[in-house]
Amino acid sequence: MSEPNSDRPQEISPAGPQQVGEEQTHFGFKTVEKARKASMVADVFHSVAGKYDLMNDLLSMGVHRLWKRFTIDCSGVRPGQRVLDLAGGTGDLAAKFSRLVGPTGQVVLADINEAMLKVGRDKLRDKGILVNMDYVQANAESLPFPDNHFDLITIAFGLRNVTDKEKALASMFRVLKPGGRLLVLEFSKPQIELLSKAYDLYSFHVLPKIGQLVVGDGESYQYLAESIRMHPDQETLKTMMSEAGFEQITYHNMTGGIVALHRGFKF
Amino acid sequence: MPAPQLMVSALELALNKLLHLDPLSGHRLQPLAGKRLRIQVRELPWPLTFAFSDQVDLLLDEDTEVDCSMSLSLSTLKDMQDVSQIGQLIQQQRLSLHGDMHTAQSFSNLLKELDIDWEEQLSCYVGDVLAHQTLQFFRSARIDTRQRLERLRQMLSDGALQEKKLAAHPLALEDFSEQVSQLRGDAARFEARLTQLEQIKAGK
Repeated sequence: MSEPNSDRPQEISPAGPQQVGEEQTHFGFKTVEKARKASMVADVFHSVAGKYDLMNDLLSMGVHRLWKRFTIDCSGVRPGQRVLDLAGGTGDLAAKFSRLVGPTGQVVLADINEAMLKVGRDKLRDKGILVNMDYVQANAESLPFPDNHFDLITIAFGLRNVTDKEKALASMFRVLKPGGRLLVLEFSKPQIELLSKAYDLYSFHVLPKIGQLVVGDGESYQYLAESIRMHPDQETLKTMMSEAGFEQITYHNMTGGIVALHRGFKF
Repeated sequence: MPAPQLMVSALELALNKLLHLDPLSGHRLQPLAGKRLRIQVRELPWPLTFAFSDQVDLLLDEDTEVDCSMSLSLSTLKDMQDVSQIGQLIQQQRLSLHGDMHTAQSFSNLLKELDIDWEEQLSCYVGDVLAHQTLQFFRSARIDTRQRLERLRQMLSDGALQEKKLAAHPLALEDFSEQVSQLRGDAARFEARLTQLEQIKAGK
């Protein structure tokens, strides 16, 4: 077993989140130094950015579009509002928000990863989405925005990659306006045992192979599967949001709990 | 799988595709830009919110404010094509409308005035000649089918009326109705005359 300060990641059991040291965190099933996780996640997304949309469609059989659509349906966004799409990746949510808030509103597409942000920016510009869209390379743990600034914050399939989730939720709470809402769309814990087993089989055996075949990078998709298992389940995330200050927190399971949408308000 | 989202996604895709095929629909969308219209079709479990910009976004959203909301049944939806009927539909309680009526009218016009040159669209894929011939074939087939159906209807009607005598000819039916009316009138007059005679007899 490696020393805590060693550069080599420490393998841990896939059984679920385990206690790690103060300066350590999970990177999939590995335990790594907190300072290294961001760059390791960045490597993963640098590797997959070019074919991110294709892989999302392929791996979810297009269902990720419906999960995102449900998120938009729950957003309650209105013309003139200010929206932050965190870890916005290739801009699936941001494109729709841009039309919904109209020219008097503003959408900020933020991602820590430069490659993902570039793909998202190129995609949205190609679609002619220009007037109310801004792009910011930002770390969710220390958002570079004023207090009480956004009416809505969404983070879709991004929170599990954040090193310090509590710090990120606190940062989101700070920049959200009173009355504003946070929507966290993330992989979660399947609620049916049989589905859970089939999902494990798919995630650990099929998903990395498709990743290897299409992107030439099976490891990144192995990390994807592992990071999903290490992410807090529905109730744990609800508690974390509550501890960050959010109120009236509810969650909605989709596709048997494979994905859950958490919604919380700041008052 | 979120089934309602799947259905709405398909509907949104189809609607925007159709609007895209008509070059003038962008112009007709302009007065609706930034507006929202919610339609509750009684046969559907959830209301549909139409958010207009340079395209139409469909939302399954019951919370946000809208410029206009309508509640109606599927059968009323067809009558909505005629904007002048809206007032009458409200009076007949077949349509419930709240908010800005112009939003509903503009949306109705957007759909009603949709004019797609299918021949032009098809020609992009198969060329002008084949597109023209294909459309011509469908137009002829439609006229031909209509004529055949009319002939079939006439033949069945003649068979039932003339040969098999299964039903009365409309003229015979009309004549019979006239005779019945005549008889009813005669009987009424006879009854009145009879009553009168009885009263005279009783008076003596």
